[in-house]
Amino acid sequence: MSVLNQIQKIFQDVFDDDELIVTPETTASDVEEWDSLMHVTLILEIESNFNVRFSSGEVAGLKSVGDLCALVERSQS
Amino acid sequence: MSEVKSEVKSQITPKVNQLFEYAREHYPHIMRGMEEAVHVNPDRFYSMTERMLQRLEPVLGDEMYQRALGAFARFSEGVIFSQARYERSGSYENKSYDEVNASLYSQRSEMDDYLWGVYLTNTLWAHHMELTLFYLDRFLGSIESPDQATTIVELAPGHGGWGQMALDALPQAHLYGYDISPSSMAIARSLADASGVGERADYHQQNALEMVNGEGGYADLCICNFLVEHLETPQALLHAIAHVLKPKGKAFFSGALTAAQIDHIYEFTHESELMVLAENAGLRVLESMSKGPKRTLKNARFLPRSMSLILQKG
Repeated sequence: MSVLNQIQKIFQDVFDDDELIVTPETTASDVEEWDSLMHVTLILEIESNFNVRFSSGEVAGLKSVGDLCALVERSQS
Repeated sequence: MSEVKSEVKSQITPKVNQLFEYAREHYPHIMRGMEEAVHVNPDRFYSMTERMLQRLEPVLGDEMYQRALGAFARFSEGVIFSQARYERSGSYENKSYDEVNASLYSQRSEMDDYLWGVYLTNTLWAHHMELTLFYLDRFLGSIESPDQATTIVELAPGHGGWGQMALDALPQAHLYGYDISPSSMAIARSLADASGVGERADYHQQNALEMVNGEGGYADLCICNFLVEHLETPQALLHAIAHVLKPKGKAFFSGALTAAQIDHIYEFTHESELMVLAENAGLRVLESMSKGPKRTLKNARFLPRSMSLILQKG
């Protein structure tokens, strides 16, 4: 399963919406409930699912789903 | 009609409008919280935030939106991360001043960023916007003779914004600020100078708790916001506030309850704990306000609150 597909599953779980589809371009502007709390919840869930830990510097500039995917891929390489 | 009002507002608060545009483009996930802060009191939100940005601009220059809003977004995310870890562990992540000093206080660039972030929470966090209005209306607004000479002591001014609001409201007042942090001294000084109240503000690098060793009973007003939860021995701070105040002098004092941050070490759980600290130091609680954010983490067991007290020395 690609990183994007795994992240999509995490989005669906966090937002409790099985119909939610995200693309690399998706940002908080596109998902109504994506606020600061959900942003942090997403990052914590991603850390847990991919068994990685991001630094505060790494998560500071995250804006889009593509940014999240790229961060996960960097942390796994 | 609303379009006319909106047009007028965009002309009188151009910096706030630009702040929102910058947030929308670079930090869209913080927009909801900022919009909640506007709804607390739209007219005053715009005027107060515009004033804060007017102070920031001479200090941060062309990088104001990038640096200040970036710092605010990082600070807010850091708070939520800390709260999430607190939800899991049941306790704050640091327990001593030394631990926080190693990770934050002694790191100058991190500390500067932290202070810029905290500065904007005064209006951009809805529940802090409410406390700021409480401060302006119920504390500063209750001063019977605002044009008289007034001595203000601010303990741990941090960015200095609270004290500078007092200097705005009390044109004959002089403020003495004491903070252990060099970053705080530099930022508070720069903002005071930028806002035209620098000649009425003196800042000294000193541990606020050591005030009890110096002259006492000289301050008409004391301001001490969000220091108490950073201390290992919070009672000592209330004794310091009582020490500097004249008899009948008033204090505005704030603290955080079940609200985790990297630098919060003393966990207050009940509002009464702050009141008891004040009463034990000989201070009477005149008014209080406790506010939490409208939204919390899913299934949260802790409700983070910020509480402010207006105190009077007996």
